[in-house]
Amino acid sequence: MNTRMIVLVPLAVLFAACTSIPEQNVALDQARSAVDAAQHNPQVASLAPQELAEAVDSLSVAERAATDRAATATVNHLAYMSLQRARIATDTASSKASQAVVAGAAAERDKLLLEARTNQAEAAEYAADNAEKQLALSEQNNELKATELANADAAAMRNDARVSDLEMQLKDLNAKQTDRGMVVTLGDVLFDTGKSQILASGSSNIAKLADFFKRNPERTALIEGYTDDVGAAAANFALSQQRANAVMTALIGLGVPAAGLTTLAHGEDMPTADNATAAGRQMNRRVEIVIAPAAMTSSR
Amino acid sequence: MNTLRTIRTATALILVAALGGCVTAPAPTAQLAVADAAVQHANTSSTSQDAPAELQIAIAKLASAQQAETNRDYERAIQLAQEAEVDAQVAELTAQSARSRRAAVESQDAAHVLVEEIDRQNHR
Repeated sequence: MNTRMIVLVPLAVLFAACTSIPEQNVALDQARSAVDAAQHNPQVASLAPQELAEAVDSLSVAERAATDRAATATVNHLAYMSLQRARIATDTASSKASQAVVAGAAAERDKLLLEARTNQAEAAEYAADNAEKQLALSEQNNELKATELANADAAAMRNDARVSDLEMQLKDLNAKQTDRGMVVTLGDVLFDTGKSQILASGSSNIAKLADFFKRNPERTALIEGYTDDVGAAAANFALSQQRANAVMTALIGLGVPAAGLTTLAHGEDMPTADNATAAGRQMNRRVEIVIAPAAMTSSR
Repeated sequence: MNTLRTIRTATALILVAALGGCVTAPAPTAQLAVADAAVQHANTSSTSQDAPAELQIAIAKLASAQQAETNRDYERAIQLAQEAEVDAQVAELTAQSARSRRAAVESQDAAHVLVEEIDRQNHR
């Protein structure tokens, strides 16, 4: 039994020595697997090729030392160096990959910022464009309104002008403002005594009146005839009617619409002066044209 | 007489030292200096923060190398000096890798935030 062991052990040792398989070394195993992992990491191969080559070289130095049966401490040392070189390669690659991510993120951020600014600029431009359109629209509106205002003003001015024109015309005819309206008195110069024929001397006043009515067709008028107290009242009444009719006929003949004209006879009633004197009687022989107040016409 | 003896002794000592120098390898001063420089370079606040274990290994390894030199175990001192140097590099790179990874995560987060912010602005 003992002799068997004595023989077997040296044999085994001899056998082990004959095979070129180096002794099992934990440090070397670790280094091998670390370098192998680094070699199979595409990131390390592409980002830290120099460091990887150093790790591979250091591993082969350690392997050679082990094969050459160098001292265990030496093999351990070389294996450790190789293990650390593998770590250096791996860390270098990881660092560079992260830096690439940072750089990529920075580029992405710049791109995004640029896009955002472009979008904002476009939005602003769009908004400005819209605002401009709005402005143009409101300007157009304003112009329209201004035009309307101007038109209204012009209309008002025309109205005013017409009113003042009217007043001017009537003033020319010695029109008086009464509570019945504007009253134009055509004196007896129009007629011979006892006659209803309009004299040529009064025709210019009649023409002015006709002109006024033609320019203001909306105006209606009451034509009233008066006489003095010479003669019978009934005769005077008839005469006053005839004179009023004569004035109306003359106006119609000058183109004034008949619809707006009415006659009324007063005879010798409502004298405006004393019939005792010739001057008073002359003032009482008259035709009054009462122009309906402006309120009856369309206002602006 | 006394001085002569002293000179003799000194000469003998020098001879012994020279012989000793010839027999064993010279002190690995250069290797130790390189290792010391590497460890000092790696010994920064950021490395001690992001790779404290690795940095401690390098520092301890350098101390061991110096001890080995003191013990005139020059072969061991050289090995330890080389290991201390590579350990220092590992510590530096581990810290740098951690910092870069953080920066990458931060920049990606920032990019997401930016995307969200832009989306929000666009939908306003």
